[in-house]
Amino acid sequence: MIRTFFIYVTILIVGIVFFVSMILFAIPALQESTVILPKLTSSQSSSGDNGDVSKESLEKEIGKLQAKLDKLTPSDAYIIINTTDNHFYLYKGKELIREGLCSTGKNERLVSEKGENTFYTPIGVRRVLRKQPNPVWAKPDWAFIEEGLPIPPPGHSSRFESGTLGAYKLELGNGYMIHGTIYKRFMGLNVTHGCVRMGDEDLEEVYKTLQVGSKVYIY
Amino acid sequence: MKNSAEDFDSLFEKKKKYTGLKIFVVIFIVVLLALTGVYSYLSIGAVRERMALAKAQSDGTISGNPSLIDLMKEKAWVESRLKMAAGDSIGLSIDLGQHTIQMELKGVVVMKSKIRDYSTSGFFKRMDGNVYFAMFGTPLTIKAYESSIEKNPFKVIQAPKTKTAEEIKAEEEAPLAPAKPAATTDSIPDENVFWTVKLDRDFELNIQGIDSVAEAQSKYKLGKGFEFKRDIRNIMNSFEHIVKFKKPTYTPEILISIPENEAKAILRALPRNASVTIRI
Repeated sequence: MIRTFFIYVTILIVGIVFFVSMILFAIPALQESTVILPKLTSSQSSSGDNGDVSKESLEKEIGKLQAKLDKLTPSDAYIIINTTDNHFYLYKGKELIREGLCSTGKNERLVSEKGENTFYTPIGVRRVLRKQPNPVWAKPDWAFIEEGLPIPPPGHSSRFESGTLGAYKLELGNGYMIHGTIYKRFMGLNVTHGCVRMGDEDLEEVYKTLQVGSKVYIY
Repeated sequence: MKNSAEDFDSLFEKKKKYTGLKIFVVIFIVVLLALTGVYSYLSIGAVRERMALAKAQSDGTISGNPSLIDLMKEKAWVESRLKMAAGDSIGLSIDLGQHTIQMELKGVVVMKSKIRDYSTSGFFKRMDGNVYFAMFGTPLTIKAYESSIEKNPFKVIQAPKTKTAEEIKAEEEAPLAPAKPAATTDSIPDENVFWTVKLDRDFELNIQGIDSVAEAQSKYKLGKGFEFKRDIRNIMNSFEHIVKFKKPTYTPEILISIPENEAKAILRALPRNASVTIRI
């Protein structure tokens, strides 16, 4: 009696397992199988009457297009900054001349009664607008808001700090810069307010290699 | 004689006991088989319908000599990358033949990664030249993202209350607090990076972050994880259609496995409606 009952239950379980495996594995595999699918041939594909396009002319066209594409890569120095891995790659034409760690924006929104400040490194292409050794940091309002300090008037002595930006700065516009740091232990992390921080030796090489007008690719 | 008659009756009672169960099992199995048949038929039908649509859309595009097809693909590839370079945002170019995936910004390759493994739907393997050019001849546009990690994580921080002159003075006079320990990069949690995008030519591009091919196979965890949940949701959607005797929607897919940190970097860098160029 019990044996018969178990036979029925086993049949039920086998049926369910078969159904589930068909739905989960067999049918999706069948959908992707090329055996059951017809060839995707459109009405004009086999005509072969493309007399006006020869192999030579096609190769010539590709060559021209490729040259046009290659020209888009700067032949002089440029830098690529990866904001996810906090890595930089310094190039001269197609040659990689230096790579290393950097620190980029912390992706943070600071909310205060004075409004909102967003700290991130903007993705896209920028140019070096200005280069300066021994920079002095003119602290913006958010630096005081973040510390809970009263905001001093513009030009006030408490706004200026020497040494914080390291030995050099390269301005990229809208307040964004490539500069040095006194917080070297944070190198390789997303900790900045949007600027790109570098170690002393890397910064020196970048400063000497990039010229005003050099491109900065940030992703 | 009496005993044997009782035995005979009891046999019928036993049989009666299981008749209901037997009928249930038979009906249940027949229903399952019927559903499997209908599901298979409609699922395959959905693929064929998608193929018919692709074929209809490709008619009237480039016609070419089959012997020049590789050169024409090469030309379409370079042309598409040039079109992408004309825009201001980052684009993605994928060359499955060369096993490379790269991000390009204004024509400059800002990141290049080796594809560790990839697979494409049977749909793509059955394409001829015209269908290929209709699908991949010009840059595609991303329509929607879905990912196992946040695309643009942003923390919101409340600024501290502005201190009074007395509080500042007291702080300056107080002894220095011990320095906070330095943050270390090795504390980054092990993330499962998998993201998928819907493209405007009605197919999906899936990017899986892996550090070895073996990892790609072991990463798919039955019962949990982003990929499993996504597959189950797709199956449930298809099943819902089939229960209503409607054809499910079929979306061809390309699955690409690349190193995890690169998969994450691409996801974070690509804009919402980024352009994608693909060469198969």
